[in-house]
Amino acid sequence: MRAYSASAEEALRARNLLKDWADEGFITAAQHHRMEPETDCELRRTNIFLRLVLFLFTLIIAVAAALLFSVVTRPSQQTAGVFLLIFAALSYAAAEFAVTQFRFYRYGIEEALAVCSVVFLCGGMLPLLSSSAEFLVPAAGILASLWIWHRFGLPYAFLAAMIFVIWVPGHWTSSHSAQHVIVAAFYAVGLIAVAVVRSRHRLDFLDDGYSIVEALLWLGIYLTINLHLSSVDLLRQWWVGPLTTTEFPRTFYWTTWVLIWCLPPAILVRGVRRKDRFVIAVGAIAGILTLVTNKPYLGWQRHTWDPMLLGALLIGVALIIRRWLAAGPGGIRHGFTAQRLSGKDKQWMDAGSAALGLAVPHAITPGPQTVSPDVRFGGGDSGGAGATSDF
Amino acid sequence: MTILTRLEQWKGQGILSPEQHTLLAGLSRGEPFSLFLELNLLLYAGILAFVAGLGWTVGTWSQQLGEVLVLTVLSAMLAACFWYCFSRAPAWSSAEVPSPSLVFDYVLYLGSLVWSVELAYIEKRFHLFSGQWDLYLLATAGLYFFLAYRFDNRFVLALALSSLAGWFGLTISHWPSHQDPSYRQYAIVYSLFVGAAGAITHRRALKPHFFGTYLNIAANVLFWALLSGVFNRQNSVLWLFALLAACAASLAWGLSRRQFSFVAYAAVYGYIGVSSILIRDLNDGTAIFSYFVVTGAAMLVMLILIARRFGKEA
Repeated sequence: MRAYSASAEEALRARNLLKDWADEGFITAAQHHRMEPETDCELRRTNIFLRLVLFLFTLIIAVAAALLFSVVTRPSQQTAGVFLLIFAALSYAAAEFAVTQFRFYRYGIEEALAVCSVVFLCGGMLPLLSSSAEFLVPAAGILASLWIWHRFGLPYAFLAAMIFVIWVPGHWTSSHSAQHVIVAAFYAVGLIAVAVVRSRHRLDFLDDGYSIVEALLWLGIYLTINLHLSSVDLLRQWWVGPLTTTEFPRTFYWTTWVLIWCLPPAILVRGVRRKDRFVIAVGAIAGILTLVTNKPYLGWQRHTWDPMLLGALLIGVALIIRRWLAAGPGGIRHGFTAQRLSGKDKQWMDAGSAALGLAVPHAITPGPQTVSPDVRFGGGDSGGAGATSDF
Repeated sequence: MTILTRLEQWKGQGILSPEQHTLLAGLSRGEPFSLFLELNLLLYAGILAFVAGLGWTVGTWSQQLGEVLVLTVLSAMLAACFWYCFSRAPAWSSAEVPSPSLVFDYVLYLGSLVWSVELAYIEKRFHLFSGQWDLYLLATAGLYFFLAYRFDNRFVLALALSSLAGWFGLTISHWPSHQDPSYRQYAIVYSLFVGAAGAITHRRALKPHFFGTYLNIAANVLFWALLSGVFNRQNSVLWLFALLAACAASLAWGLSRRQFSFVAYAAVYGYIGVSSILIRDLNDGTAIFSYFVVTGAAMLVMLILIARRFGKEA
């Protein structure tokens, strides 16, 4: 069912691991040269930058071709819908052709074609369906995205399916609480299914893909349950101040508050037990989001020093974990270490430090530009060490 | 065949020693599992949240807290951070020096950000640099460059480069709203200066691993500046030629050094610039979409040829 053979994907995984171990000095260059030929496979890959650009230009061609066709033929709405469905089929066929004939793997081209097939499918169905059957559009989007994820192994296709899920309950019920419950239930079912399937692939290449999907589902459940992040009305509170009434029943509201405190530790425990990087990350993110949204949930006033306390807590937790791990024999405790074991970690750190270092700090450090009599920080602007902000 | 089976085979063939096999098989199973990246992210997020809260608190409550208390606290934090870094730093070397500990880089980063907060507060309260705010930016950039090179810290290097950009009059947040030629010229001068500084330090082997950061920032600022010139209808053809020259240089550099981000810059910025000129006066949808189909296909073919030539190299 997958577009690529298991042996080819397993070989690619082995190849990547060998490169990483060679970079870290776990194996010598001579050993690497002897082992690498055994991981050869027929799949054709490219680096991340060319992959992104190839994706972009394929997208441009596909969308421009569809628009050109509609401009030339000037079809009615219904006919345009049929044409889009044909385009969806053509895009999908082209993606399959690119994989089977050219063995493209994460090459950008086949990915963009697969994405276009889902977009065209949903766009084509919309004018063909009556308003009572419109829920079929996100339903088709879910199925098509899941198929693309399964067939090509693209994690963002699974994310697209999760986003399509958000539109489904709106066609069934007008109750916002029920909509949140339905979406969370969909994600929970997906999570159980993934957890069951994943247990059979603990040590093979599929585990990496399932890890991302499980993390996405946990995050989806958390965001759906945290009403202060997933409800448009409650999100407005961050800018316009506390609301006197909410769209949610009291019991439901407070149940979600309890759940946002229960979920992060549950996710973290699951991630730590499985030693799953993505699930651990989602657990940490969910924990931070719970701390950030707790005051709005309770209707308490936020203080200017709240971020300082949060920052101190995060720093403290990181230092305690590091010290605890470092104190273990060989810097290892319960199979965990604070030492770097992969060159990829350093690459991420180097790339992230330059990118984040340029953009983020100046949004948080204030700096005066104009002389004004009142003393008030007004938040920073990007660039120039915050030199454009007002006090 | 899973990686564990392969490792077993390689051990059997004598390519891997038993010790290496044990280590690599363990790593494949996540034993031990490294939390290095997670702890770094936690520290980084913690520092950012802390400094954001610090700036917000100082700004909101400075009058109630009083100047002495605010300055004492900020100065104490600053002194503590820099004392920590100077007392624990390894000897300086022009080559890459690993951080002495996980927290070292973040203490330096915290100190650098607190410096920004304190200097901004002093300026606001006492107007020491009144009318000469540029000097603050230049001095701050100078300090950050010194700290980045002394302690081999990319976070602080990025702060230095953006402070320098501020001195040149550039801010990321104001980019789309600024169309005046002088702003564009400052951007070009900045990018050339940063590119040249990076090249010189790289040539002199002075923290050569910083070169990538210099070059990426210089390239992006230059391309944005040239693109804004192309979008401007005055002398747009001249700006286009300049853009194409920059694209050619970026492409050549990217291909010769196997740095494919520069190939991507050349393709995307060049395509946007050329397209904006060619379809600027077109009103016919057929012509516009035909243009995108044909030129998109041409770009795709060119990029596939490049990708096939270089494979998965990064």
